[in-house]
Amino acid sequence: MFFKEINHYGDRGLIIDFGNESSQEISQEINLLFSFLKGLNLPVLNITPSFNKIVLHFNTIENKDKSLDLLKSQIHNFKPSKKSSYQKIWKIPACYDNSFALDIENIQKLHNISKQDVINLHTNKIYYTYYIGFMPGFPYLGEVPSSLITPRLESPRVQIPARSVGIAKKHTCVYPKVSPGGWNIIAQVPFDIFDLSHPRASLFLPGDRVQFYSITLSEFEDIQKCKLPFQDLIKEYSQ
Amino acid sequence: MNSLLISRTGTYLTVQDFGRFRYQHLGISPSGAMDHRILIALESIINHHGNQFLEFAYVGPSLKITQGAIKACVGGDCKIFVQKQNNTQIEHKPYTSINLFEGDELNIHNTIDSVYGYIAFENGLGLKPCLDSYATDTKSQIGSIPRPLQIGDSFHIKEKVRSWDLAFNDEINIEKQLDFKVFAGPQLNFFSDETIQQFASTPYTITSQSDRMGLRLKGEPVISQRSHDILSEGILPGSIQIPSNGQPIVLLRDIPCTGGYPKIALLASDDVSKIAQLPPGSSVTFRF
Repeated sequence: MFFKEINHYGDRGLIIDFGNESSQEISQEINLLFSFLKGLNLPVLNITPSFNKIVLHFNTIENKDKSLDLLKSQIHNFKPSKKSSYQKIWKIPACYDNSFALDIENIQKLHNISKQDVINLHTNKIYYTYYIGFMPGFPYLGEVPSSLITPRLESPRVQIPARSVGIAKKHTCVYPKVSPGGWNIIAQVPFDIFDLSHPRASLFLPGDRVQFYSITLSEFEDIQKCKLPFQDLIKEYSQ
Repeated sequence: MNSLLISRTGTYLTVQDFGRFRYQHLGISPSGAMDHRILIALESIINHHGNQFLEFAYVGPSLKITQGAIKACVGGDCKIFVQKQNNTQIEHKPYTSINLFEGDELNIHNTIDSVYGYIAFENGLGLKPCLDSYATDTKSQIGSIPRPLQIGDSFHIKEKVRSWDLAFNDEINIEKQLDFKVFAGPQLNFFSDETIQQFASTPYTITSQSDRMGLRLKGEPVISQRSHDILSEGILPGSIQIPSNGQPIVLLRDIPCTGGYPKIALLASDDVSKIAQLPPGSSVTFRF
């Protein structure tokens, strides 16, 4: 167990601390504890996991105090096991065509590798979804192979196209919507990964596994034309 | 059917409620009204408000009744007039119900020595919730109407008003507060005792670069002795974070769900509504 302690976060918050480091093992424990906490049906407004913390937000001080006692007694019953029923495995098509791969040369130059190397390295790995943050549905995926690790852009872009796939430091991501941002953009996926009309809202949830596969521009356009509803995207691209 | 039309938007007119919860782990901010005290006050006058309130900042909107009749109530420190079709104008008080009939126009002037004002409507505004809430987060484009309202936007309310009797609450007291007792933030230990002492003893001015996401303050820089960059973690409204320039940011309702700046302190939950009402130029102090 990486769990360290539970601290108060203001009058209506608690912060479950897993230390200052970040790793996939820590994140797995966090995301399993996150599902365990959801199962406890605490009187909580929000439970927000991240790399090494889980923040709980309550609507009253009484509910916080009551839940803290319950958490203290329950957290010792929690055993991080490898399996969780709600976590999905995704195979996501991505087009690395030059028209989308705005910053792929940065990565090529930094590591002295070809464009095909970047694509192979990026698609060979099954990524782990650390958490969803920054903007609705934005997954922090990791970790990329060491020869893709690239710092953020020195000056962030004002507008990154929606559905862009990016790399920053050890992580890769998909931008759900148009946004400013500093990630190195290397590809684009052919469908939306966030949809408010579906109860899941975000295609990716914390703990999901994601692998990209390379598609041609014409395959990209074909998938884009289908405009599959969220329901069918889940069926088609996840296990 | 009862219909109303936005004939003047005022400033930053949005639909709000008490917030959208249970979605922060998907990157969805709670949002909701900046000043919960006023919503609670309005609830005591308009009981069946459907959780659909209008929020404005600084300058209030004008609303025209295009069909039927609507009962409304305005909360906040502002002047309120109803323009009748025969060109007579009647002044109304905040926290008092107003009966509006076809052709009437409700004109709300600017907020006095405060920022946000609200309008509640009996039976709401005929909107559908988005992820269980009517709150608007314009940055993420989430909400029943996921943008600030525009001239010409109209609302249609099917239900009839239950009672046209005058309703009011004269016990409402929305206080102004400039001195805030704060809790220790998760990264308080990033700052030296001297820096903490200075943060808690010098005033900070609210700058005009403030919005529903947060108040940017200006004053003695608060410099971390460790780093201004942490691994992003969950954020709550009222968190006071310190970016590398040392100028504190008080996060309000449209919080980024996670953030990577150290948080020196956190306001009491009830104080978020109070600090949100302070106009730019106000000088605030914090003490632990």
